[in-house]
Amino acid sequence: MTSQTEIMQVHNMMDVARARRRGLEMACNLGFELPDATKIAVVISELGRNITLYTSGGTITIVTEDGPKKGIKIIAQDRGPGIPDVKSALTDGYSTSGGLGLGLSGSKRLVDEFDIWSVVNVGTTVTAIKWLR
Amino acid sequence: METTTIHKLENLLLVSVPRDLMDTEVLQLRRQVLQEIRRCQSQLVLLDFSQVDICDSFFGRFIQSMAKMAELMGAEVIVSGLQDAVVETMVELGMTLPNLQAVLDLDEALAFSRDNHRAARPSEQAETGQLENVAWADDLDLGAL
Repeated sequence: MTSQTEIMQVHNMMDVARARRRGLEMACNLGFELPDATKIAVVISELGRNITLYTSGGTITIVTEDGPKKGIKIIAQDRGPGIPDVKSALTDGYSTSGGLGLGLSGSKRLVDEFDIWSVVNVGTTVTAIKWLR
Repeated sequence: METTTIHKLENLLLVSVPRDLMDTEVLQLRRQVLQEIRRCQSQLVLLDFSQVDICDSFFGRFIQSMAKMAELMGAEVIVSGLQDAVVETMVELGMTLPNLQAVLDLDEALAFSRDNHRAARPSEQAETGQLENVAWADDLDLGAL
């Protein structure tokens, strides 16, 4: 088996807690050391929290790549209001919800690849990848 | 949710923070701690994070606000038990939690608490200018007697 995909529905923080714990587990199983597995779990937590904060629900997909290059891909997807200003949303301290404003900018720092696709009134897809070194 | 335990030990309020707290439970815990600070007249709160293995920015904000609120009640929040994987993630995420005192374990927390309590007595206030807040809380205690 070279790849494993798990799609999880996210509607509330209970779902987020379940998804981040599953992410931690899958990362550890793939061979990530605990600090890196923890980072994956926190990225899932931040992206999942955004789904619960700003939209009526979405999904978090965790994909493990177990080929010659090992890693974990997290895809957070929703059909919410979209992010009007992605550049600002990626700035430390920028928040429209009264939070610390570290959710997206901080998550980007915790992984190797980070991409946001967002269209206003259509939805948002955030893809984050962390490679196993 | 695993139950949160809050114990009073000498001048110290010991709070063991459970893992996987839901957001509403986090806010509930904060209120509970503030109530206990008032009830026990504690000047020092130890948040023990040894059970916590995932700490995201919401949780970081909780620690920050908890410390700020306790300060306004004349108490100080110190933390212990943060795991290496947790602190590495917190700092890289951008949560530096400035001005937050951390101790290694309960023994160190108790020593810190005893030192602080001694230093905060009004008679010794002049020598320990940085502990004005704690001294002020002590003055209030004396006034209430």
